[in-house]
Amino acid sequence: MLMSNYFSSVMSLPELIASPDALVLDLKVASGEEAIRALHQRLRSATPDVKNAEQFLQDLLDRAALASVCIADDVALPHARTPAVDRIVLAVARTAAPVAFDSEHPGVRLVFLVGTPKAAVSEYLQLVAALSRLLKNPGTRAALLTAPTEDEFRAVLARAQKR
Amino acid sequence: MKAVTDPAKLLLERLLRLLRWRVWIQEKLQPTEWQITLLWAALVGGLGALVSLIFKGLAEGVHDVLTGSGAGVVESMRQLPWWGVLALPAAGGLLAGFVLLLGRRIARGQSSTDYMEAIVIGSGHVPIRSSLVKSAAALFSIGSGGSIGREGPMVQLSAVIASFLGRWRQFTPPQLRLLVACGAAAGIASAYNAPIAGSFFVAEIILGTIAMESLGPLAVSAVVAALTVRGLTSEAQLYKVPAFKLNSAWEMLPYIGLGLIAGVAAPWFLRSLKAAENFFVATKLPLIARLTLGGLIVGALAIKVPEVCGNGYSVVVDILNGHVAWLALAVIFACKWLATAASFGSGAPGGVFTPSLFMGASAGFLFGTGVHAIWPAGAANPGAFALVGMGAFLSAASHAPVMAVIMLFEMTLSYDIILPLMLCSVVAYYTAKGFEDRSLYSEALKRKAAETPGGLAFEVGSVAELMKSKPPTLRAGARFAEIAELFLSMRVNNLYVTDGEGRFLGAVSLHDIKPYLGEAGLAELVIAKDILREDFPRVAPDASLSDALGGFLNFEAERLPVVARDGTLLGSLAKGDLLLALVERRKKP
Repeated sequence: MLMSNYFSSVMSLPELIASPDALVLDLKVASGEEAIRALHQRLRSATPDVKNAEQFLQDLLDRAALASVCIADDVALPHARTPAVDRIVLAVARTAAPVAFDSEHPGVRLVFLVGTPKAAVSEYLQLVAALSRLLKNPGTRAALLTAPTEDEFRAVLARAQKR
Repeated sequence: MKAVTDPAKLLLERLLRLLRWRVWIQEKLQPTEWQITLLWAALVGGLGALVSLIFKGLAEGVHDVLTGSGAGVVESMRQLPWWGVLALPAAGGLLAGFVLLLGRRIARGQSSTDYMEAIVIGSGHVPIRSSLVKSAAALFSIGSGGSIGREGPMVQLSAVIASFLGRWRQFTPPQLRLLVACGAAAGIASAYNAPIAGSFFVAEIILGTIAMESLGPLAVSAVVAALTVRGLTSEAQLYKVPAFKLNSAWEMLPYIGLGLIAGVAAPWFLRSLKAAENFFVATKLPLIARLTLGGLIVGALAIKVPEVCGNGYSVVVDILNGHVAWLALAVIFACKWLATAASFGSGAPGGVFTPSLFMGASAGFLFGTGVHAIWPAGAANPGAFALVGMGAFLSAASHAPVMAVIMLFEMTLSYDIILPLMLCSVVAYYTAKGFEDRSLYSEALKRKAAETPGGLAFEVGSVAELMKSKPPTLRAGARFAEIAELFLSMRVNNLYVTDGEGRFLGAVSLHDIKPYLGEAGLAELVIAKDILREDFPRVAPDASLSDALGGFLNFEAERLPVVARDGTLLGSLAKGDLLLALVERRKKP
């Protein structure tokens, strides 16, 4: 499939998932909002493609307030389509302890934070669909939860996409 | 993997499965709004044929009850004693007047808009109750032998059904007018078993355009109507005629003469009807008395000449087959003219289309007989002149030569006379047009238009008048399940998203979510805000139609949202409606 330039010029969608712009293992946060803020901070310093950090954060929080961003009991996918980013950006975290994103999802461990340019509707859906597909697999989730290093974590993501 | 038991999840999966089907069907068939219009046209065609048949059956039933005979109008009049012949049409007029009077209470406040007015100068709204009242009254004027056509009410009822359907489905005015036109085409197609003429009659006379945007649905409707009639009855062509032959090109000469005569006679026929109407109005009699008087005149004529009763169909068949002597026909011709003027002038509900066919056939036959007497080789068979005379008279009366030629051909299925028919109809048309700028139909329409504020045509000037209000909308937070459900029920390709104050935020496109309908996991996460396209083009309510068309040229969509200056979503504009309105406007200078 032809990827448009909303994924970074050198990276395709599977590559972006296997090597996100930011990756944190054992993130120590107390709530979903804290997790979003922390990952946003990482992303901001990791890539110049986040043009307007304040707006990006606001859009992420607004979206999370509007409707749940969780796709499984332990997986959250906070995201925003926003003019604040120039391409699709992805930050991934594994929390040190389960955090509550909303009342129905009190024990989230894996957080995939996505920022998408406004016009990139279908690319956004592609990415979210790909993530939700691979995180549906309990084996992949278990492997991600137990991966000892960042490299191993990335390797699990890369392998999971090939399945 | 454990089985999904959560009812919400099961419902979501079912919705997605249905939506996948919908998308699949849509991609395989790709029904555009035009094709959907064709489906409606077909439905209207079928229903129109049914109501036409019902009306015909009822009129025959009323006739059977009133005369106690199942024979044709003329035949049953012959069987009655003289006082019965005198009294019957008068009684019919009395009953019709009674129904109209009673109906005024039922249809209080409703105008008596007929289908032509509704299409040309109205919004496509044909009032149901007053149409039913008029048709019920027509049953008596027709069933009692009044010299009036039953086809008019058949067409009107067919148009009523179409208008009712269109209003129920909340069609926009151009669509509604087109659908009513389809109903009329269906009515004509079933009344005369003439689907081509039915579509062209409406296109040429009423819509004034034969652009494919309107002719296509008209044709579909007429075809379905004709099929329905043929399936339910055993009727083939209306007039069975012997074969005619053109022996030499010189035979065309007398036909030019016939064209001139028809071109002069038809306007006079129409003028006499109008004069009769003025006469009856001038008597200042109440409606019931007028109708009774009209019936009495018809009855008095029918004592000696029973052929004046009814729409003249059976007499035309006799003329075409040479079963009527010319002298007798001359008497019938004069009496029928008077009788039609009496029936029509007294206000008897019914049509004058079929009676004018009779006038043409008689005039043609008499002329043919005259030519035959002087120059036998020039008019070998006066019956052929009768046939051509019908077309010429119709062409001159309706100002629609194309329709007249086609209709004659369809009613008789006789291709042999096509050359004289075409020539004669065109000559008659130009003669009549030079004589009189009014046609059988323009008269009533002009009168109505003068009463209607805003001029002759229902002119659509801006987007606001054309749009469909209350389009289906979503909130920004709407869940995927909600989006899928709305896409399933609304048959649109884009759903509009509004905020709490009704301001337009953007649109969710079915095209975007199509590849992911199999992903239930995604469905739990995605809301309208995530996938809405803010840059979706929109049109302003005060934009001109050509500006709106520009919006469609740059963007592939069947509909565009109409958004006010303050951002409020007002409605949606369909490309099909816009094109129809532009076509309608083009035909009007």
